[in-house]
Amino acid sequence: MDAFVLLGSFVVLILVGMPVAYALGLASLVGALWIDLPLDAVMIQVASGVNKFSLLAIPFFVLAGALMAEGGMSRRLVAFASVLVGFVRGGLSLVNILASTFFGGISGSAVADTASIGSVLIPEMERKGYPRDFSAAVTVSGSVQAILIPPSHNMVIYSMAAGGSVSVAALFLAGLLPGLLLGAMLAVYCLYVARKKNFPKGDVIPLRTALKICGEAMWGLMTMVIILGGIMTGIFTANESASIAVIWAFFVTMFIYRDYKWRDLPKLVHRTVKTVTVVMILIGFAASFGYVMTLMQIPLKITNVFTSLTSNAYLILFYINIMLLILGTLMDMAPLILILTPILLPVVKTLGVDPVHFGIIIMVNLGIGLLTPPVGSVLFVGSAVGKIKIEALVKAMYPFFGVLLALLALVTYVPALTLWLPRLMGV
Amino acid sequence: MNQKILKALDGVYLACIWSAGIAIFFMSIIIPVGVFARYVLGFGAQWPEPIAMILMVIFTFLGAAASYRAGAHIAVAMLTERLPAGLRSRCAALVDVCMVAICLFGVFYGTKLCLGTMEQNLAELPWLPVGFTYAPLPIGALLTLIFVLEKIVFGSQHARAVVTFDHSLEESTTPEAASTSAGA
Repeated sequence: MDAFVLLGSFVVLILVGMPVAYALGLASLVGALWIDLPLDAVMIQVASGVNKFSLLAIPFFVLAGALMAEGGMSRRLVAFASVLVGFVRGGLSLVNILASTFFGGISGSAVADTASIGSVLIPEMERKGYPRDFSAAVTVSGSVQAILIPPSHNMVIYSMAAGGSVSVAALFLAGLLPGLLLGAMLAVYCLYVARKKNFPKGDVIPLRTALKICGEAMWGLMTMVIILGGIMTGIFTANESASIAVIWAFFVTMFIYRDYKWRDLPKLVHRTVKTVTVVMILIGFAASFGYVMTLMQIPLKITNVFTSLTSNAYLILFYINIMLLILGTLMDMAPLILILTPILLPVVKTLGVDPVHFGIIIMVNLGIGLLTPPVGSVLFVGSAVGKIKIEALVKAMYPFFGVLLALLALVTYVPALTLWLPRLMGV
Repeated sequence: MNQKILKALDGVYLACIWSAGIAIFFMSIIIPVGVFARYVLGFGAQWPEPIAMILMVIFTFLGAAASYRAGAHIAVAMLTERLPAGLRSRCAALVDVCMVAICLFGVFYGTKLCLGTMEQNLAELPWLPVGFTYAPLPIGALLTLIFVLEKIVFGSQHARAVVTFDHSLEESTTPEAASTSAGA
């Protein structure tokens, strides 16, 4: 009954259209009143939910990514990727995927990736004779790399939702191979389509121009070196490397690339405040929701339900994947990570699944959810920048969904794919 | 008169955005200063972390109030957009009432929390009562409440020039898609 009151009121509130963050807050009040918990305790949870040092990395990563995405970085990454893979048959589709790989190393936002890479490459691909729906589908599916390749603010959110017991550094390393593997799998599929449909080859770029392009891109790619190098060597904490990445991104955007105008900075401030605060307030209210949920022993009860179904870990992970995929089609990533991690982590822990491994499973599932109707923010942005109807884009994405689901199966059932690198590095 | 009120609320909105913007600006400066102190000056400074966290609380609660006015919060419109107009407006009215409730909770219990922790001090910053560091909570809740009441009285203001000024060309084609995709 407790669970019904808390989860039921939450579901009703979001279905009538209340913003998810505030619905979490109000549902935790309803739950608290139901179990006679003083509302002061709920308030303390909201306050301490936001007042956590580990959260600082989230605004920093988003801000550094936004500076890079809007400051002419994507154009340079696309040029750099063209030097490396543009000359083969179907080269531009590979350029699209590789540019997303690089972009993922700077920003953790699949939406920003789709918007910035897509607005450069979809028109370009169409000009060179690629079908528009295919071009948009490559862009949209490639953007999932941004979630997996570090830095990824969603992994910071997961680390926090897991109660701080999972290190951000381990998650970052764990996401790297699956992210690169996704890029490779998409590239193989695109090469196959290119051969079948005889897509054009790109030009080989002359050495002198190529060197200049590489030099320009290196400034931006240094962001990745700062973040990963700092965290892995232990010189900086995650927060520190994220804040230094902001300063570096600002320096490169305003003084090296100089595409972004000083008078446009207020726009960037407005946009960053909105994108980041909606996630931060969500984290605060999710903390109170999680607290009431724990007092009601809901995670324990759900664990019992799952383990009474079967003791087969593979099967339970399969059920969890199906559930995450369905929920992912309906809601955005951050709220789902915050709500589901405290519920599902105890379940998989009893099965002996490593929390770092499970974090990446969640990322892949919810990343796919961003590309699927009815609610898929990456899909919406891809359809807007590609100027293509959502239905047409979804249809073109069928084979790409196949690739993504294959990656999900690999990530779920081959733990070494995620755990090998963090163990090797000892984090 | 109405125009004057809306104009004044534009000012409140901008104040929220800029307080949050200034907070994040200083957050991004303060943490590297701590790193600089540790590696270059050779001593670990205690103050950058708690100061950055206070700024983050300001950033979160004031920024979230502005985000409410801009309609930027993540919400699920799947069911409501399929409802007939009459039911849809009833749902919207219910959401408004619920928003008033959660804001009142924030104002009342947030203030109580601040007053209750005025006697405690932060270990790193002994001169600062903990109650002050929580002040953005009730203030942010009050500002959100003002924007909720504005929406109830005057309708949604998310299309005002002051709110949409940061939309870029592609974004303006799908404002919802682009602005509600925060965590993606």
